[in-house]
Amino acid sequence: MIGRFRIAWKNLWRKKARTFLTVGGITLSSWVLVSLLGFNRGYENALDRDIDNMGYQLMVMAKGCPYEAATLMLQGGTGLRYIEQSTVDSVKAEPGVAMVTPILMQAYFDPNKGENGGIAGYFGVDAASYAAMKPFLRFKKGGWFIGENAEEVVMGFEAAELEQRDVGDMTFVPEKNVQLKVVGILERTGTQDDGTIFVPLKTLQRIAGTDRITTIGIKMEKDADAGGLEARLYELPNVQVVSFTQVKQTIMKLVSTARLMVFSIVIIALLIAMVGVVNTVLMSVLERLPEIGVLKAMGAMPGDIFLLIWTETLILCSCGGIAGIGLGFAFARFTGVLARRILPYAPKGGLVEIDLRLAAVTLAVIVAAGLVSGIVPAWKAGRVRPMESIRSAI
Amino acid sequence: MSGTETVIEARGLTRTFRLGSEEIRALDGVSLTIRQGEFVSFMGPSGSGKTTLINLLGCLDNPTAGEMSLSGTRIFGGGKSLSERHLTRIRRDVFGYIFQDFHLIPTLTVRENVALPLFFYRKPGTAGEVERLLGILGMEHRMHHLPRQISGGEMQRVAIARALVNRPAILLADEPTGNLDTKRTDEIGSVLQELNRTEGLTIVMVTHDAGFARLGERIIEMRDGRAYEG
Amino acid sequence: MAKTRESAQVLLVAYLLFCLRPAPANAATGCDLSSPDRDVPRLFPGSTSYTTRYMSLLADELSSVVTRLDARFRGLYDPLNVPYTIYEIYTGKKKVGYIHGVNQKGQFGGIQVFVSLDLDGRITAFYIQKITGPSAGTFRTPAFGNQFLGLSLRDFDSYDPVSGKGSGKLPAIRNPAPDMETDFYSILRALKKNLILMDVFIYSTTRKNP
Repeated sequence: MIGRFRIAWKNLWRKKARTFLTVGGITLSSWVLVSLLGFNRGYENALDRDIDNMGYQLMVMAKGCPYEAATLMLQGGTGLRYIEQSTVDSVKAEPGVAMVTPILMQAYFDPNKGENGGIAGYFGVDAASYAAMKPFLRFKKGGWFIGENAEEVVMGFEAAELEQRDVGDMTFVPEKNVQLKVVGILERTGTQDDGTIFVPLKTLQRIAGTDRITTIGIKMEKDADAGGLEARLYELPNVQVVSFTQVKQTIMKLVSTARLMVFSIVIIALLIAMVGVVNTVLMSVLERLPEIGVLKAMGAMPGDIFLLIWTETLILCSCGGIAGIGLGFAFARFTGVLARRILPYAPKGGLVEIDLRLAAVTLAVIVAAGLVSGIVPAWKAGRVRPMESIRSAI
Repeated sequence: MSGTETVIEARGLTRTFRLGSEEIRALDGVSLTIRQGEFVSFMGPSGSGKTTLINLLGCLDNPTAGEMSLSGTRIFGGGKSLSERHLTRIRRDVFGYIFQDFHLIPTLTVRENVALPLFFYRKPGTAGEVERLLGILGMEHRMHHLPRQISGGEMQRVAIARALVNRPAILLADEPTGNLDTKRTDEIGSVLQELNRTEGLTIVMVTHDAGFARLGERIIEMRDGRAYEG
Repeated sequence: MAKTRESAQVLLVAYLLFCLRPAPANAATGCDLSSPDRDVPRLFPGSTSYTTRYMSLLADELSSVVTRLDARFRGLYDPLNVPYTIYEIYTGKKKVGYIHGVNQKGQFGGIQVFVSLDLDGRITAFYIQKITGPSAGTFRTPAFGNQFLGLSLRDFDSYDPVSGKGSGKLPAIRNPAPDMETDFYSILRALKKNLILMDVFIYSTTRKNP
C-alpha cells in the first residue's frame, strides 16, 4: 500500500538538482543554528569550569584603580596595592565563608627574557589552604613545600615545561636574585595554574619585603547568601570584592554582542532557506497542476493534497536539518577554534557543546520554520480546481 | 448491456463562461438520461461542448443552470452550487475518470499508480482490486515498471485500472485514445467494450472519432453546446 | 558606581586569567624567535625577507644526531625529538643564510640559543634569547656573542663541550660568568646541537627534501 511519505519523497526526487539545492540551503542554516546554540552552551559551561577551577568564588583585593594596578603589574610588579594579612581573619569570621586562602602575587622584570625582557610572575600561597580550595590539584612529581618559610617552588605543568625544570632543579627570581628549589610539579589542570610558579607565602613576603598580601580567595558555604556576603565584604576597609559569578555575567555580556550578531545571521540564513523551500514547493505545485487535478478527480480532498505537499516540505526540512546538525557535530571543534580566534576572551576547553537535546531543538526549529513556509504552497495546491488544472495541461 | 435503473438524469444543463466581456455558452440546455450498464459516446468537433458536458456529468464542475440527479439523488439544481469538497465526495463514490493524456504519476510504479485512489479513499470490498484489475487489463507483468517504461496503450490501460480500483458506478472517458495510434486505439476500444459487457460498467465516453464512437450502444452528437441523439 | 565596579571586576579577572598564563611551551614544541619580524633584520643585517620551515628528525636522523652528540650524554642534550623552526633568510630573491635556535636546560631555567649561519654553515651572529641566573646578562652581551662569529660545526671536531677539553677556537671562548659555569658549558653544548641539527636538515647532501 502506498503511503504519503513515499509519494512525497518520490515527487521530490523528480527534480534532484532543485531538491539538493533547497536541502543544501536548509543544511547551512541548520548548521549555523546548531553551532550557535552549541557555542552558547559550550562557552558558558567552559567559563563555569574555568571559574570553578579557580577554586574560590570570591576574591578580595586591595582597593585602587584596577587599570593602574594591572598596568603596573604588567610592567614590573611595583606599585601594587596590598591588603593587610589581618584582613584574612576578618573575612574568615564572616558568616557564609567556608574557607579562605591568602595569596601574594608578585611579578619581577627579567631582562634576559627575549629581546627587551619579560615578566616573571609568582604566587605566594599558603599551601594547606590553597590545596584545600583546589582539591583537584594533583602532582606529576614531588609535592608541596615542606615548610611555610622554605626556599622552594611548586611549578605548574606548563611553567615547568617551559623552563625545563624537574624536581630538584633550581629556579632564579630576577630582580631579587634569589634561588629557589623545585620541589613539586603539578599535573596539567587546563587552568591558569599550569603557568604559575607557587612559592610559600612567607617566603615570597620575605623576598618582596612585605608582610602583606594582594588577594584573599574565598570559598562560600553551600546556600550562602552571596550578595549579602559580598556587600559585607565591601564594608571592610580598603578592599574591593570580585565575584566570579558577576564576572562571568560581565564576560557573557561582552560576548553577547558577538552572539547577537551571529544570531541575526542565523535568522537571515533561516529566512533565506525558507524562501528557498517556498520557491521549491511552489514551483513543484505549479508544475504538477494537472496531476493534482487528477488526484482531486480521483477523490483526494483539499486536505489530502495539502498534507501531501506539506509532507514534501517536512521531508526537505528534516533532511536539511539532520544534515546540518551532522555537520555541526562534525565541525564542533573547528567552530570552537574559530570562535577562540575571534573572541576577546575564551575560556579553556571546548567552546562548542552539542548534544542530542540541542540537536532536537535545532531540528524542531528548522522543521517548524519549514512547515510554516510550506503552508502557502500546500494551501494553494489544495484549492486547485480539477477541471481547470487538467485542462491547463492541454 | 443496459439495465433499467437510471444512473444519470440531466435536465436543461447549461454552462456559460465569461471570457473578458464576452459570455460563451459552452453548453446550452442539454437534457439526457443514462441507464445502468449503458455505453454512451458523445461525439462532436472541438468546441462542441462535449468535454464541458462530461465535466458536469462527472461532477468536476458546477452548471450555470439546469438539474442533474445521480441514481435518483439530486446533485445540481434549485439554484444551489456545490462546494469542491462536496463534489469530491460525490466523485470518489460514483465516478472513475480516464483522460486523453493518461496523467499517470511519473515517479510511481504501475502498481502504485493504480493503488493511488485507495490512499485517499477506500471503498469496502476493494481489497485485492489492484491485482485483479491489472490482471484483467493484462498489465500484471508490468506492475513494477514506471510509466516511462511502458507504451501509450499500456499507460491508458493503467489509467483505466486506476479509474476502476475503487469500484465506481460510472466510468467517464474524455478522449481516451486521443494520443494513441490505431493499433492501441483498437486495444483500448476492446478493453472498454469488455468492461461494459462482462462487468456491466456504465461508460460515458467523449471522442471526436466517429469510428471509435460506434463502440457505444448510444451515440449522442454534440453541436454548438446542444445534444442530438440520432 | 556599579558600572565602575563591574569594569574593575572584569579587568581584574581578565588580568588574573591572562597575565599569569605561560608563554607557549617552546620547550616541548621547539624554539622560535619571539618576534621574527623584528629579530631577523637584527640578526641578519641586509636581509629583506625570510620564510619559516618546520622540520622534525626522522628516526634514522635522530639516531645519527645522538651518535654525533655522544650517546653517553644524551640527557645533556635533551630535548631532541621536537619540532624545529628554521628561518631561511633572503636578500631580494637570493637566499643568503639561515637562523636557527635550540632549547637547552640551564641551571636556573631554559636557555634558548640562536645562531645566524651563512650558506657555508659559518656563524654570522650569536644570540641568547633566554637565559636565567644571577649573571645571565653577561651571556647576552656582544662581547660574549662575538667570540662565536666565523665558527662552524668543524670547530667542534677538535673540542668536546661535555668535558670542556680540546683544541682550536672553541677552548679560547671566555666564560663571562664564573658563577654560572654550568650554563656556559650548556651554551656550548646547545651550540654544537644547533650546528649538528642544521647539518642534518640543511647542509648535509644526504637529506631528502620533506
